[in-house]
Amino acid sequence: MEGSSRSQYSEKEKLTVFNNEFLPHINSMYNFGYRLTLDEDDAKDLVQDTYMKAYRFIESFQKGTNAKAWLFRILKNSFINDYRKKSKEPNKVDYQEVESYYNSDDVDRQITTDLRVEALQNMIGDEISNALNALDVDFRTVIILADLEGFKYDEMAKILDIPIGTVRSRLHRARNLLKDKLSEYAKKMGYKNA
Amino acid sequence: MSHLDNPFSKPSGEKVTCLEMLQVILDGEATEEQHLYFKKHMDACMPCYKSFELDMQIRQLIKSKCCGGQVPEDLVDRIKSQVNSIS
Repeated sequence: MEGSSRSQYSEKEKLTVFNNEFLPHINSMYNFGYRLTLDEDDAKDLVQDTYMKAYRFIESFQKGTNAKAWLFRILKNSFINDYRKKSKEPNKVDYQEVESYYNSDDVDRQITTDLRVEALQNMIGDEISNALNALDVDFRTVIILADLEGFKYDEMAKILDIPIGTVRSRLHRARNLLKDKLSEYAKKMGYKNA
Repeated sequence: MSHLDNPFSKPSGEKVTCLEMLQVILDGEATEEQHLYFKKHMDACMPCYKSFELDMQIRQLIKSKCCGGQVPEDLVDRIKSQVNSIS
């Protein structure tokens, strides 16, 4: 948050910005919180905490700029700084390790020859949701931001505090990993070529 | 179409791959010109057409299966009352 671009709001203006620019994103925020924590109560706490921070630091939000990206950034930071520390995820994987592991050519291959549209069309249950949830949180996050929320590279770079090139490659890997997962499910469902 | 006319071409002049074009499209970063080019390209390139179809199907499924969660009603009320109490 750039200190040089702080806005001055009256108390009334603060509430107006909060109600008109922040609250309308509550659905997306809750979904993001839920997809990160995979727990409804944790998601509620995370979203509430994010909105409180947004209100407290409203001076650093510039009217007319992208409120949704700003809120997502706060939520993501709260998740990393508060939630992850608190819960000390036992199976938390060091991201760098994951990234270099998946940086191999193997995962960059094109998976289209495996997975088929027909197999996907029969995934009417929770397979898609489970496949997404099974991805490491960093890969899950970029899929949510890009494919569910429609954020662009530059917005994602700001939300995640990573360079645009990293956004691009992480998204690419995330899509391949997701296809791998879906392919596993398809095989279980009996699609030989999946 | 020579690859020189390809709107996906890199400044280095290096040839752009199908996979790279597809990613620009999927990531929502393509210009209108790139969209048109890729659409034409897909007519002639079966692997691209198949990949595109698969990826779009996955995206559509993600949107329909991973977005529907309704915000718990009390959450909005909790947030509003907390904000009102500190403002």
